[in-house]
Amino acid sequence: MPPTSTFNTPSSLEILISYMGMFGMIAVIVLVIILVFKMEKIKELKTELAKLKRAFEELDGQAKLIVQTDVELHKAQEELDKKISSLVTLQKLSRLISTTLDEEEIFQKLDEKHITELGFDRAVVFCRDETKGYLLKAAIGYTAEEADRIMKLMTGMPLLMDTVMNKHKVLSTLEMDRAAKETPHLLSMLGLSSFVCAPMMQKEGAVGLLLMGSESPYTHMTEGDKDLVYILATQIGQSIENAKLFEEQWHAQQELENKIQLRTKELSAALEEIKVVSKRKSDFINAVSHELRTPLTSIKGYASILAAGKLGELPAAAKERVEKINKHSDNLSELINGLLDISRIESGRVEMKLEPLDLLNMAQSLADMLAPPMKDKNVEFVVDIPEGLPQVRADKGQLERVFINLIGNAIKFTPPGGKITVAARPVDNAMIQVGVSDTGIGISEHDLKKLGEEFFRVDNDVNAKVKGTGLGLSLVKRIIEAHQGTFSISSQLNHGSTFSFTLPKM
Amino acid sequence: MSTLIGVGFSEKKDPFLAASEAAKMALYQIHHRPITVAFLFSTIHFAHQRLLEGIYYALGHIKLLGCTGSSVIWPEAINKYGVGLMLISMDHVTFGQAHSVGIKTKGARQIGEEFARQALKNLSTPQRDLALIFCDGIVENGSDLLKGIKDILGLSFPIFGASAADNFRFHQTYQYFDKELLTDGVAGLIFSGENIFGMGVRHGWKPLGRPHTITGVKGNVIKTIEEKPAVTIYEEYFGKSRKEIEKTLIEMSIYYPLGLYVPGETEYLLRNVLRIDEDGGLVCQGDASVGSEVRLMMGTKEWALNAATQAAQEAKDSLKDKEVKGALVFESISRNKLLGRLTERELSRIKKVLGNVPILGICSYGEQAPLKSLEHYGETYFHNETLAILAIGESHAADKHI
Repeated sequence: MPPTSTFNTPSSLEILISYMGMFGMIAVIVLVIILVFKMEKIKELKTELAKLKRAFEELDGQAKLIVQTDVELHKAQEELDKKISSLVTLQKLSRLISTTLDEEEIFQKLDEKHITELGFDRAVVFCRDETKGYLLKAAIGYTAEEADRIMKLMTGMPLLMDTVMNKHKVLSTLEMDRAAKETPHLLSMLGLSSFVCAPMMQKEGAVGLLLMGSESPYTHMTEGDKDLVYILATQIGQSIENAKLFEEQWHAQQELENKIQLRTKELSAALEEIKVVSKRKSDFINAVSHELRTPLTSIKGYASILAAGKLGELPAAAKERVEKINKHSDNLSELINGLLDISRIESGRVEMKLEPLDLLNMAQSLADMLAPPMKDKNVEFVVDIPEGLPQVRADKGQLERVFINLIGNAIKFTPPGGKITVAARPVDNAMIQVGVSDTGIGISEHDLKKLGEEFFRVDNDVNAKVKGTGLGLSLVKRIIEAHQGTFSISSQLNHGSTFSFTLPKM
Repeated sequence: MSTLIGVGFSEKKDPFLAASEAAKMALYQIHHRPITVAFLFSTIHFAHQRLLEGIYYALGHIKLLGCTGSSVIWPEAINKYGVGLMLISMDHVTFGQAHSVGIKTKGARQIGEEFARQALKNLSTPQRDLALIFCDGIVENGSDLLKGIKDILGLSFPIFGASAADNFRFHQTYQYFDKELLTDGVAGLIFSGENIFGMGVRHGWKPLGRPHTITGVKGNVIKTIEEKPAVTIYEEYFGKSRKEIEKTLIEMSIYYPLGLYVPGETEYLLRNVLRIDEDGGLVCQGDASVGSEVRLMMGTKEWALNAATQAAQEAKDSLKDKEVKGALVFESISRNKLLGRLTERELSRIKKVLGNVPILGICSYGEQAPLKSLEHYGETYFHNETLAILAIGESHAADKHI
């Protein structure tokens, strides 16, 4: 029997297993290590994920906060935008309305374009009428048939009418007062989702109402809308008032104009009558003067013959009477000549021979002519006319009469030692003013007003002594007026007078 | 013959006189040349048969399309009241006009299909390049109408257009189709010939807060977001109760629409919310799909103005080397509201890019335009709060004739 070993030699399988066990062990260990690392990584990742999730949730939370804040911002911005746009339109509309002075035209200016720009879709305007109650003045966004229906139904809204028209309140879909009971009916009647209704105010209260509304159920009225409609309604109310005032004023003006026209007609007729009377007067004076002059010439002639003693010497008493007749005849003749001159000038029968005249030359030649009486009274005569003064356009003979009359008067009323000045200056481009001043007794304010009237003579010592016709200044005034000039007198009692007149330049 | 475009505008009270005035102004600008097509836009105040009578009285028989808008955009201003008319005189382009009404009874998708079929029939040529549509903006799901049109014309066919508006009244809008005044429908045309159109579509709104996932949709109603009633997104972000949100939802949604992430696009697709349904779902003007990422969006005036520049640039760039002869501009009424008094700056930005060319458009309730306008093969979507510009370029064929 072959010997046997107590120890079995390991088979290749066992060797493999033992090796595998070693590798397995190593692999398991490695795997365990990897797993531990992975677990650690997963743990880390989980922590990161939790962090990210938290951050994500936090960001989402912040987004919610942003949205909530942004909502308010949008709301405020939208309201502001709407207000600004509406104000621009309101300003445009107000300008259009306020420049309209016809009541009906005011309502025509309220058109769909402006209503849309103000942020509304439709509008109605009612005005209070004393006889008919309420009148529909405008229905924007409605057909004519719809407007008729609105007119009928609107008057059946007593609470709304009372709130707006009598209590002057702005009513809208924002309010919930007693008038709100009528709101649903009003909205369905007008086909609106929201509205604002405001009184059209005037000084004496509401004249009507303006209702503006939106069809869109998504348009919400705001306090800003209420303000806007109220401003527009007030503007319309005031424009209506202005239009009425203008109309009243226009009627008053028309009435006034009619009255003025009537009065002007009456005055023209009176003036014509006066002209006729004046012409008759001139004709009468002319005729009478001529009629008087013929016998007067005879009287004067015979008186002169008698006074000269050509028919034999007269007794002293008779001679004295005849001389008086002669002197009074001269006075009468002078009076008649003066009247005739005035009459001729007034009636235009005197033709003015207008020619260029040098005032300085004329004044100097007159000074020579009037030198003796001035010398007698010791009156100084001054000519204050600048050399080179433009010539005037006047009738030489008539202008000399003016100067003689005025300077003659001045000599008469200036006491010895006084001064008479003839001055001339240009007034403007067309006229030259001439003044004859004296340092005489002057004229009272009362008499000054009457001076220049025919036959008026100031009641003073000089006039009492010196006879005169009272026609001199009247004649001067007519001559100046016939030259298209003006005549004026200024005087101060006891200090002298100035007689001024203007004449056209060449 | 080169392309001539004229734009007339009037604020006259009488629709007939306003139309005549705008027509004469536009006709003068195209030197009384034959009118290829006319686009008429007016504010709701003028939505009247007399308006169309005025146009036809002044211009005789012409091909006309258009609709009402909350404002009329023309080169001088953006007016809340008025009538604008664009007259185009050009060769090398043919088109098929069509209209279809009865969205409320037949459904928007069927009306879209009817319109597309009829327009193709009237086009009388197999080649087609662009559809231009004007549809009723009161329709709740604007995307459905587009789906109908795309069912017939194909998903990638470019469609450009606007949803008629009535200044937030949401009562009735109108579409103009030749002498007909339509409502509750769509009017438009399909152009064929040399491609002379360039489109630019931008809004400028940016996402705010974390992304959410839409988990339930029914047509144009986003029912649930992350398994919660969709309105929760507004409740949470605004910190207001559902009742409070309901009161101001339209306004909130204008400033903070929902944005749907569209892979590959730089901007989110915006959705205005019209109302909240009984389950707290958000009824949107356009559709959305389950699984889409939705964000609350936020806009600022500056971002909106920058977007105007980008949209105009996009439109101009897509014309490539063609000279811009004019443009149709459809601006969301929401942008108009956001920009407030700065709204005309948007017009200035557009003009700065396009130059002093005739521009006409409206402030609309929705805009239809392809997302990838540059490539011109993108699918058309319904947009909200967006500025969509269709630049009309000079035809190369016309250049050769000169």
